[in-house]
Amino acid sequence: MVDSAFPSDPPTSTNTRVRQVEAIVHGTVIDHIPGHMTLKVANLLARETDQVSIGMNLRSARMGRKGVVKISGRELDARTLSLLALIAPSASVSIIRDTHVISKFTVPMPKFFEDIARCANPNCVTNHEKWSSRLEVVSANPLAVRCVYCERGFPADELALI
Amino acid sequence: MQFTGRHVISISDFSRTDLVRVLELARSMETTGPAARLDGKLMATLFFEPSTRTRLSFEAAMHKLGGKVIGFSDAGSTSTKKGESLADTIRMVERYADVIVIRHPRDGAARLASEVSAVPVINGGDGGNQHPSQTFLDLYTIAKVFPALLSGDRELTIAFAGDLRYGRTVHSLLTALCHFRVKLLLVAPRGLEMPDQYLLAAAHAGLSVQEVPTLQDAIAQADVLYMTRLQEERFPDPLEFDHIKHSYRITAAMLTGAAEHLRILHPLPRVNEIAIDVDATPHAHYFAQAGNGIPVRQALLSLVMGAKS
Repeated sequence: MVDSAFPSDPPTSTNTRVRQVEAIVHGTVIDHIPGHMTLKVANLLARETDQVSIGMNLRSARMGRKGVVKISGRELDARTLSLLALIAPSASVSIIRDTHVISKFTVPMPKFFEDIARCANPNCVTNHEKWSSRLEVVSANPLAVRCVYCERGFPADELALI
Repeated sequence: MQFTGRHVISISDFSRTDLVRVLELARSMETTGPAARLDGKLMATLFFEPSTRTRLSFEAAMHKLGGKVIGFSDAGSTSTKKGESLADTIRMVERYADVIVIRHPRDGAARLASEVSAVPVINGGDGGNQHPSQTFLDLYTIAKVFPALLSGDRELTIAFAGDLRYGRTVHSLLTALCHFRVKLLLVAPRGLEMPDQYLLAAAHAGLSVQEVPTLQDAIAQADVLYMTRLQEERFPDPLEFDHIKHSYRITAAMLTGAAEHLRILHPLPRVNEIAIDVDATPHAHYFAQAGNGIPVRQALLSLVMGAKS
């Protein structure tokens, strides 16, 4: 059966291009990744032994250009989804089992990013003690956070992932 | 909100009701003395960086309430120097003391300590972030001279001058003032203006905020002029600092036309920003302000330790 990771998409030339990315039987498809973030998403989410298929610069009616990453044999856990929310909040996720899409959802935006990224304040205590960072989401679009400890606010693109 | 067992970390954690409760108890501490004592209670002061007023006034407040004090004022003489984590230091001290007062050079250190400690933690200053007991005493000082702060009978005009970008005292005080009926005037050198997040908070709270070009403009309009110290290291060009520092210095001569009720506050230490001749004017209020640290810290200690009369 053809990978039905995007069954709700109308049959357009865009879909034809997406289908050129290898179908998966079990696993996770991350779609609607901003083009320039595609490789970063793949690098951060995929483990060394994962089988990963990547589509870059695919046409998208919604985004113009987008990326797709398919990870075979693994469904993303909550921590990984938090990571995805930080680096590609516009992405959508499909969970595939036996070639069927069993759930499809946009990346859930957590209230806090726990130990996902370092606080961008160099004098923040979490950058000097062995202590997890905790960043409160204060704005989803554009994504901005506030450190629970030092109380400084930052746009997401100033953060370094842990 | 319940005060017993509560940590005092950031002024943002306190509602208007909380703020007023602390100020009212401080008032009764000063006028009638403590209704309840803290006999047998122990306060640990963990000062990982130097302090004069904060440490001494917390210690004086605890002694006046009948409690005792342990602690250090030099991290170099502690296990921190051997590499002990802050969390481990707190886990140890919470077993020795009934309340912990901490000053630390890192932003957020007090919040971290509060997450580890089973006894109340009071932030005595964490890096450039917060210094809530200073804000309580600043509010108390303003309310003592201008009861309208609490009654709301008239709008007070409060001017902030100096380093408004990095000064934690002005950030915290501005945050607290968002609960009251005040108008803010800001005077700062280019590059050291109040950060946008505080301006937005003031606007959100409905406060009028106006930038004024000179100290003299602030003196002409304000009920309270809150001065802060300019630090040379904030200026990339020493010549620019040399030029600016004279524009941010108050002298007695500048106060000749000031309203009689104008009060000048400063968190201290002052360096050059307030000339010595200002001390003799009726406007100088910074030493009285520092003195208010005692009843305010008595109130905070009593509240978080649930002192019973």
